[in-house]
Amino acid sequence: MRSFMCFVAAIAMTTGIAFAEYPEKPIDVLVPFGGGSGPDASFRMLQPDLEEILGQPIVVRNVGGAGGTVGAAQFAGHAKDGYKLGFMPVGTTTTQPHLRKVPYSDKSFAPICMTIQDPMAVGVSPDSGLNSLDDLINKAKAGTVTSGGPPPGSLPHIGQAALAAAYGVKFKYVPHKGGHGAAKSILGGKVDVLVDPLGSTLNYGLKPLAVLNGERLPAAPDVPTIDELGGKPLRYSIWFGLFAPAGTPEPILDKLGQACEAATKTERYKATVKKSGRTPRFMNRAEFTAFFAQQYKDNAALLEVVGLKK
Amino acid sequence: MLQFVPEALAQTFDVSILVALAIGTIAGIIIGALPGLGTVLGLVMALPFTFVLDPPTAVALLLAIYVSSIYGGSISAILINVPGTPQSAATVFDGYPMARRGDAPLALGYATMASFAGGIFSLAVLVLVAPQLAKVALLFGPIETFALIFFSLTTVAWVSGGEMIKGLLSATIGLFLALIGPDSMTGQIRFSFDNLFLSAGLTVIPLLIGFFAVSEILYQAATLKDVKILSVPEGGFSIPPWSAWKPRLVTLARSCGIGSFIGVLPGTGATAAVFISYADAKRRAPNPEEFGKGEPSGLIASEASNNAVSGGAMVPMLALGIPGDGGTVVMMGALTIHSVIPGVRLFSEQPDLVTQIFVLLLVANLFMVFFGALGSNLFSRMLRLPVTLLMPLVLLMSLVGAFAIRSNPVDLIAVIVFGLAGFLLRLNKFPPAPIIIAFVLGEPLELAFRQGLVLTDKNFLQFFASPIASILFAISALILLNLFGLGGFVGKYFKRNRADVRE
Repeated sequence: MRSFMCFVAAIAMTTGIAFAEYPEKPIDVLVPFGGGSGPDASFRMLQPDLEEILGQPIVVRNVGGAGGTVGAAQFAGHAKDGYKLGFMPVGTTTTQPHLRKVPYSDKSFAPICMTIQDPMAVGVSPDSGLNSLDDLINKAKAGTVTSGGPPPGSLPHIGQAALAAAYGVKFKYVPHKGGHGAAKSILGGKVDVLVDPLGSTLNYGLKPLAVLNGERLPAAPDVPTIDELGGKPLRYSIWFGLFAPAGTPEPILDKLGQACEAATKTERYKATVKKSGRTPRFMNRAEFTAFFAQQYKDNAALLEVVGLKK
Repeated sequence: MLQFVPEALAQTFDVSILVALAIGTIAGIIIGALPGLGTVLGLVMALPFTFVLDPPTAVALLLAIYVSSIYGGSISAILINVPGTPQSAATVFDGYPMARRGDAPLALGYATMASFAGGIFSLAVLVLVAPQLAKVALLFGPIETFALIFFSLTTVAWVSGGEMIKGLLSATIGLFLALIGPDSMTGQIRFSFDNLFLSAGLTVIPLLIGFFAVSEILYQAATLKDVKILSVPEGGFSIPPWSAWKPRLVTLARSCGIGSFIGVLPGTGATAAVFISYADAKRRAPNPEEFGKGEPSGLIASEASNNAVSGGAMVPMLALGIPGDGGTVVMMGALTIHSVIPGVRLFSEQPDLVTQIFVLLLVANLFMVFFGALGSNLFSRMLRLPVTLLMPLVLLMSLVGAFAIRSNPVDLIAVIVFGLAGFLLRLNKFPPAPIIIAFVLGEPLELAFRQGLVLTDKNFLQFFASPIASILFAISALILLNLFGLGGFVGKYFKRNRADVRE
């Protein structure tokens, strides 16, 4: 009986008629980080609305480890039937493949939509006496500035390296277990600076000196952009998006793209994201696909600059 | 903050919130008691259910699970010699021997009341001095953290069950296993043999299940002569009399203090706190030789401290937005989803919310005692199951639990390999506890050490420029000297020589 059903399903797939009915069963979304982590929380905010719009339950599966690469590798090999999706961040998808041997690349994923994009800020301790980006750069020129963040290759690491390079200085990098560990060292006066999303910077009680973004951000309208300060137009952000394995049929991707757009437009979702301190950013399939390809290329070049590309 | 208490109380004594607290407590106890399922998994499993609840009810459910799951781990530790969670790894030392000699109800009573004391003490700490204590946490930079973890490792000596050398060897196994996976300083993968699944490293749950649960099952299977059913006294739960508590109040108080303090300092966690507290109790006890044979003080030290960590770890999480251990990482993510954003702004901008969290924690602790006592009758019945039925069930549950955490097949293989290895170690009298504590501390130890070296430009002597670190190093040195110099080899050597002379 089961093989017969598979046969029918296979026929239906090739004819394309069945797509009208997608989704017919619960959808599995893999998050390559643990429950309660940034990517996990970001997807779970979207989950109820997405379920309602698609009319099917969504099962979140957390497969954490090694910067998300274990989960992403598992996901890249999944069935291309629209029932296996992945919600993944910038690092796992665009920097890790350049850092180490992983069985996936940009070609393994079909972007569906971006939901969150948190621009990074340069944060220091409020007790540090550093009141502007110039203060920080001058301190680096005069002696040493220690910079904290997750292990090398992470976005905060690349961000601070690019910042230092833009000003012709060097920061001494002290890796921590995540941004929160670095924030603790900074508040305790052991480390000077952390480049992390603005929302986290504010939650940790760090003082943002500049945002690495084109415009000022509503969460902290007094913090200048790097461009305003006369620096290089650095653009660093942590983003999260929904992906399908490459090769998933177009009609399914279209349907998911539309569902994602509708879900991010609901009042409930908007309110939840606003309260969480994250920055909602919707990109549709076409925009996200182009953006993803560009990021993949840019980050490869960046990692080469900081000397980490494999 | 006091002005918000009436409102917080009124909101808490709402039917849906009380039901959520009750369900969360019961679920937490069960999840904690099942080997492999712990605080982290409990919270993650509950997350989807909380979407249909309004934020206060959802937060109540999550807090109840957070509080009671740590306690739940003690039940399986006491009754079947298998810690339900890593935090109850030291509970087996004295809890199980007590249960073996027929004192299971009393052991459960000690564990429950000590857990309650730990929970309430740390809640008081959280309520009274959270913002101030958060500042203390900041004093612990990489160098101080390294010194603290170094000190924590000396506890291996007290949990080796009289086999010091074998305990130290076990600890080196744990330290080695902690090296597998991404190097926390560079992100480079170590010892993965190019296996992607192994590249994520190992986690503590499969280790705990392998070395404690599976090896225990194999050991029981190997030594089983006849299937005998333990007689379980009626009642299943008895609160020890005041006369039994009185001489142990100092231990209780110290364990509450150690748990809360270690909880506040990010990076060490409940498992370390439990061993430090156990070692402290044993060191100070008039009868250290009774520890490990069913001494209630050992049970109290373990259970009071692990529950005290729950409140302590909430301090930096709520006040700074900096989670200290796996449980608080998930808790923080869960709170964020429900629009409670931990961080410096929480206390100043939403004191009403903070007050409500405190009240919820208080009620969750009360519920924990109530349902713990109520459930003990049921739990004790587990002992009436023949081991030949019980142990296979435990094995199955353990494997499910080990896999569920991150769906990595390596975790299943790890359980089996460590189960066999643990069995061999057990036959040769190698204690498994040092493996767990060294594994848990291995990663933060290495990270803090190397961070310290970066900060001091690779000058280790600079570590002693930190007064906190120097004090901790000094205490560790004294402990080691005392162990090896006076109480250890030298002492034995002299004693033997003296005995020779007399002959």
